Amino acid sequence: MPERFLSWLKSAAGITILLTLFLAAYATIDRGPYILVNTAITGGMLALVAIGLALLLGVMNVASFVHGEYFMIGTLAAYYVFTPLNAYLTENPSPFLTNAAPLIAILSAAAVGAAAGALTEILVFAPMRRRSRENWVMNSFLLTVGLAVVLINAHLLIFGADFKGIVRYWPGRPFTIMDVFISRDRLFAFLISIIVILVFWLFMKMTRTGRAIRAVSQDETGSLMVGINLTGILIFTMALGCSLAAVAGASLLFLYPSYPTVGLEALYMAWFIVILVGLGNIIGALTGGFMVALLKVLTVEYIGSGWDFVVPTALIIIVLIFKPSGIFGSEVRGALEK
Amino acid sequence: MTPMDKVLGKLNLTPAGILGLVILAVLPFIPPFNQEYMIRWLISATLIAAGAIAFDFTAGFINIVNFGFYAILGLGGYTSAILAVNYGLTPWIGVLCGAVTAGLLGLLVGLLTLRLRGIFAAVMAWFVGLALMGLATKMVWLTRGPLGLRTPRLFETASNIPYYYIMLLLMLFIYLICSWVTSSKVGIAFKAIGQNMDAARTSGINPTYYRILNFTLSCTLAGLLGGFYAHYYGILTPDIMHTAKTVEVLAVAYIGGRGSLWGGAAIAFPFILAMELVRSGLSNLPGLNLIIYGLLLIFVMIYYPGGFAKFFNTYIRHPKNRAMNYFLNGSTARA
Repeated sequence: MPERFLSWLKSAAGITILLTLFLAAYATIDRGPYILVNTAITGGMLALVAIGLALLLGVMNVASFVHGEYFMIGTLAAYYVFTPLNAYLTENPSPFLTNAAPLIAILSAAAVGAAAGALTEILVFAPMRRRSRENWVMNSFLLTVGLAVVLINAHLLIFGADFKGIVRYWPGRPFTIMDVFISRDRLFAFLISIIVILVFWLFMKMTRTGRAIRAVSQDETGSLMVGINLTGILIFTMALGCSLAAVAGASLLFLYPSYPTVGLEALYMAWFIVILVGLGNIIGALTGGFMVALLKVLTVEYIGSGWDFVVPTALIIIVLIFKPSGIFGSEVRGALEK
Repeated sequence: MTPMDKVLGKLNLTPAGILGLVILAVLPFIPPFNQEYMIRWLISATLIAAGAIAFDFTAGFINIVNFGFYAILGLGGYTSAILAVNYGLTPWIGVLCGAVTAGLLGLLVGLLTLRLRGIFAAVMAWFVGLALMGLATKMVWLTRGPLGLRTPRLFETASNIPYYYIMLLLMLFIYLICSWVTSSKVGIAFKAIGQNMDAARTSGINPTYYRILNFTLSCTLAGLLGGFYAHYYGILTPDIMHTAKTVEVLAVAYIGGRGSLWGGAAIAFPFILAMELVRSGLSNLPGLNLIIYGLLLIFVMIYYPGGFAKFFNTYIRHPKNRAMNYFLNGSTARA
């Protein structure tokens, strides 16, 4: 075991994780523990979006440019569920409902995201798959580009361009951890991301459906041979991936009010994570979420906001030069070829 | 075969194409196109048409989507504008410097990503585009950021007609370059790589080399376009590098027909006009024109991947009438 651990430490993954931990420790001592807190909250949510993206890459071979739009759909759904609930609560106070209303909003956002994902698969990808699988990766990528344009502008057309946000989900005094005030919303957002990731993990490992999804990601033809309902799995995967993004959007509604292009940053960050850790690598996406969050927090802290598009690109260039398969390498190598 | 036909054949132009160019050339004198705002609209449509040709040169042949197309175009524009503003260089040389800079960036991105799977190049070009836009916004001392950089114009006149002809010539130039390359031996290699990379490799084609060559050339042309656009528009903001602009060119190129070069250019003018009419006619429904864009792109991708060019080649291009056939295909027509 120690030997395996040592060799892991020498791999690209080990070095990066050690470096990240070191950086996190240094910045925490240098600037204060709030860096760590911010990283944890952003990281959890980035991980949710990136896991969804990695799932679509690994299982469906879809390089999704539209994933941020499911984040947007999540914020929108949560806003339209939470606002009336909140208005109702101000007239009829009820302690139980006050605590439950945000959860209802987030859960309904998850449901709406899943429905949107399933519809996307049925209406867009399935017809495409039936017609031709030649050049699938590029063609499906272009489809998602078209879809992103449609969804962003549908939001603009139907709901308008103004910011649709809320002040807070959970009322009450902020918590204090390590001399840092953390609002309840932030803490709950972090907890939600951890719980969702855990449930997702257990689901992928323990259930038959989860196993079937992993089988499809490894070998599509093989999974058809052993009797897996491929159409169903593809619809389900799309719904799952989109629902994760929608949950992230809904939980962060207090930070990012809903507007047409709110998903762009989430999309960009998720893609950055996925390229960094290796296409289609789901565990990598989880770790990468926190690493990138730290990078983002540090960039804003030390260099200034606005540079958070420049620093990641520089890092990606380094990764592409030295280790194009990503820091963690993709386990589903070749999934994207053809 | 007359000498005229030979020249046309060499240039990959058909009599129909010439007619189209002539119509475009006289358009600014025909009502309702002879008003200044219509000429400005024509110029922006020409920019998109020319961009679609250069974009299709990469997307349609080696199957790489340059998702930072407008960022690279904007880099060409900024280079030329900064040289003109800070060092007093005449724009006519500046645009060439802009093209070279854009080409160098294209070469770098290509060297980095084109040995990998196609999606890496697309995403990397997108990242580089976002980074460039971030730099253009943040480096205020050089680019004046979102306030916009005032650029000297190419001509002294207030009229836009000279700019229209310059852009039209530029479009023709880009078409000639691209069609000349794609009909040469190199072009066959491009097509082979785009259709089946493994087969191409087996036939002794080095895919990475040809892909980088193609990508660099496309980026150079984009930079050239950007330079001319900057000196026509008079003010340059980081918005020119926005991904939404790339998506516009992408949609036009794919709806026009991938791998045809002329398809995107042919469809750009009626298409952009229709979009403009929808946008201004239904201004109480913002975003509707872009929804139509996206839906059209999706429909073309799924149900008619060849786009307008394939439709034209299948149903219109081979009429029974010999004169019509000559008109549409030139003297190289095959029955």
